Amino acid sequence: MATRSQTAALLLAGALALAACGGGGGAQAPAAQSGGKTLVIDTSFDLQTADPGRTYEPTGLIVGKATYETLLTFEGSDVTKPVPALAESYELSKDGKVLTLKLKQGATFADGSPVTADDVVFSLTRVRDMKGSPSFLLDGVEIEKTDDTTVTMTSEKPNAALPYILPNPALGILNSDVVKENGGTADAQDKAEQYLNANSAGSGPYEIETFDVSSQVVLKANGNYHGDKPAYEKVVIRNVESATQKLNVQRGDSQVALNLSGDQVTGMPDNLQVKKSASANVFFLLANQNPEISEVTTNPKFVEAVRKGVDYAGLLELAGEGAARAPGVIPSQILGALPEGEAVQRDVEGAKAALAESGLSDPTVKLEYPTELTVNGLSFQPLAERIQANLKEVGITVDLQPAPVTTALDNYRNGKEEMGLWYWGPDYPDPNIYLAFLPGQLVGERAGWKAGSDEKLEQLGEKAGAAVGDEARTEAYQEVQRELNASGPFVPLIQPSQNIVAADSVTGVEYHPVWQIDVADLGAK
Amino acid sequence: MSASAEKGAAVTPPRPRRPALPPLARFLIRRLLVAVLLAWGVTLVTFVLTNLVPGDPVAANLGQRAMNDPEIVAQWRAEHGLDRPLWEQYGLYLQGLVQGDLGTSQQSHRPVSQDLAQAVPATLELAGAAILISLVLGVAFGVIAALRRDRLSDHLLRLLSLIGISVPTFWLALVSFYVFFYRLQLTPGSGRVDPALGAPPKVTGLHTVDALLAGQWDVYTSAVGHLITPALVLALYTIGLLTRFTRSAVLEVLGQDYVRAGRAKGLPGRVILFRYVLRSALVPVITVAGLAFGSLLSGTVLVEAIFAWPGIGQYAYKSATTLDLPAVMGVGLVVGVVYLVINLIVDVLYGVIDPRVRLR
Repeated sequence: MATRSQTAALLLAGALALAACGGGGGAQAPAAQSGGKTLVIDTSFDLQTADPGRTYEPTGLIVGKATYETLLTFEGSDVTKPVPALAESYELSKDGKVLTLKLKQGATFADGSPVTADDVVFSLTRVRDMKGSPSFLLDGVEIEKTDDTTVTMTSEKPNAALPYILPNPALGILNSDVVKENGGTADAQDKAEQYLNANSAGSGPYEIETFDVSSQVVLKANGNYHGDKPAYEKVVIRNVESATQKLNVQRGDSQVALNLSGDQVTGMPDNLQVKKSASANVFFLLANQNPEISEVTTNPKFVEAVRKGVDYAGLLELAGEGAARAPGVIPSQILGALPEGEAVQRDVEGAKAALAESGLSDPTVKLEYPTELTVNGLSFQPLAERIQANLKEVGITVDLQPAPVTTALDNYRNGKEEMGLWYWGPDYPDPNIYLAFLPGQLVGERAGWKAGSDEKLEQLGEKAGAAVGDEARTEAYQEVQRELNASGPFVPLIQPSQNIVAADSVTGVEYHPVWQIDVADLGAK
Repeated sequence: MSASAEKGAAVTPPRPRRPALPPLARFLIRRLLVAVLLAWGVTLVTFVLTNLVPGDPVAANLGQRAMNDPEIVAQWRAEHGLDRPLWEQYGLYLQGLVQGDLGTSQQSHRPVSQDLAQAVPATLELAGAAILISLVLGVAFGVIAALRRDRLSDHLLRLLSLIGISVPTFWLALVSFYVFFYRLQLTPGSGRVDPALGAPPKVTGLHTVDALLAGQWDVYTSAVGHLITPALVLALYTIGLLTRFTRSAVLEVLGQDYVRAGRAKGLPGRVILFRYVLRSALVPVITVAGLAFGSLLSGTVLVEAIFAWPGIGQYAYKSATTLDLPAVMGVGLVVGVVYLVINLIVDVLYGVIDPRVRLR
């Protein structure tokens, strides 16, 4: 019948046209071959702004690192020693309160104007006074210009951590004239964010070409950069879900993938490099010390049973290659971390004995954790299930209570969880932030651990906070962690692996604990 | 709002002594009023539901340290109006809405209208391509299956439509991305266009159209190439649905006396198919197509995630997980309005196809 064949012919033609379109797209060379001028980086976006003064999200720090420069920085992935950047030298006073910085001469912003001491004072004061997410970095710090090339930062209390804080991209130096012209007032009313989300006003190796918080950020090389020119003319950072990231980088559609889990990076082809390194995030268990919340977890022998009952090696296996044990709450990269040999080992008999001593029979506890959150590609669910199985062997019944992250965080922050499985990432690579785990402090309170609950530990904490000099600090912080491991309500578990997969043509790929990856450090083979 | 109710209302004769407006205008005005009412309902329901969810947007928006500083939290709440009582927040939102202000997203720190202006065209391009593909293929397959009833092609098409209806979209998206992009290397990677080329200058927001307007051929082929797999994946379900409905509708009409009479008169097959059969068979098909567009929109959330397509699905997901109220409300409004428009189009099309429901 004529009608039928005609319809069929029409259909066939349509199908061919579709196939041709598909073929047309595919025949095109994949973006940015090695050695080309464009670099494509795939990552799961956690991005809100390109205004350094408000930046606190991982993706934002990558952008901030590329477009702005800070006074001090870190070399490679070594975060134990701050090195000069816009400041050529720094000196901390003996009491640890005054940091004096000498500015480097000849540094210029992307528009060609020089970086001055006034820009430094404006930018840092702005971060502190805008009361955005990173403002706590400079809480109680006064910033003053002594002369055209010298800036002093005076803290209320001894602040040996300040040189370790300054490399944070949130403390990037802005061109104050440009920012002021565009609504910058350096206080809570500051309106420059909108401008800074479309244009960068920094002295970094890159400038913002386009910026979209949900899909992609395009950076172009800063033509006026005063340092060595970066290898790539253009860098595209795309928001891509991790399963898709894997295929993109394998096929050469992107050159770098930042969020692949341990499972996903196994069996990668030879033309890709896989960098696995323990991230600075530490997973830990907390047992609430508030008797109103639980009569079980407040029992010190119960906490001991948990600590001895967890199969740490099993958790490491779950996390995949590259992950590491967390011997204490301070991760291995940071000054004051405990040596790996001091990590608690599993001891099922010891755990059973501790449980017997506790006087509790067949205790049941609720373990809360966020469901959809992943840390370095690792989700909480399998870890929680493994812990549940481990503790079952000891005689503790764990009732798993997963919740969406905003809900779970609410209970955690308000100290309402009986037991919690969480992670802590360093705000900056200095051990003093880990004093948050002590009684009456930020994380301590979340475990219902009020000030005055453990005087010995609190004194050790004070001593560590005031210590000056690397050696004295290392010793003091290790002492705090030993005591915390012996009597505290926290059980440090593991540091998951941060995996970066990159094309062989990309050189200098290295995971950084603060800004993940320094785009300007990447080269082309 | 059911289309059949409207159909019923449409055939009611106009009341005497009020001759003023033509029926179509009256119909449209009534629909517009209902639309405004429904849009308001959407905002109310979204607002209430979002506020019922336990959890605090502060946790999603401020860093671990900052959210423990009461001063910062207070300032952040004040900035986003979250320090006011709920009814006042809602009142302020409505007040802004009337003036065309959808509020500021807590996540992107931009006006929601700007965010939507970027995300909606991306999704429209994807969903539009998908609905076009599924209408053409679905109706064609359905007609073929009906005409070749119980033959091999009918069975094959039944299999295809069953697959289309029962395969989960996210699975299909992952597998087709893996097969066509990674294994066969036929299609380009994720996103809307090759990152080395960049987006065409924005006119409509649809990359394919904008590229043509700007005369950028390479961008056009890249955009079409990027569009084809996600659109097909999204369309497969609707193709399956439309194939089944068209087939049964055509079969029903084929058995009617007037079709047989037409055949007996010796009319050519083409005339019978297009003028006699398809015309009456299309009424139920259009109803289904309108409904299917809804499921298409919900399917975009998953497809957009896999193909890194920066559309409204991804935006909605991100806003919902971070309790970004203004953004969630904005998405709810857009989706609501799209539904209303589709329903309106469907109702008007009834009149075009079937003179019995035409307005008098």
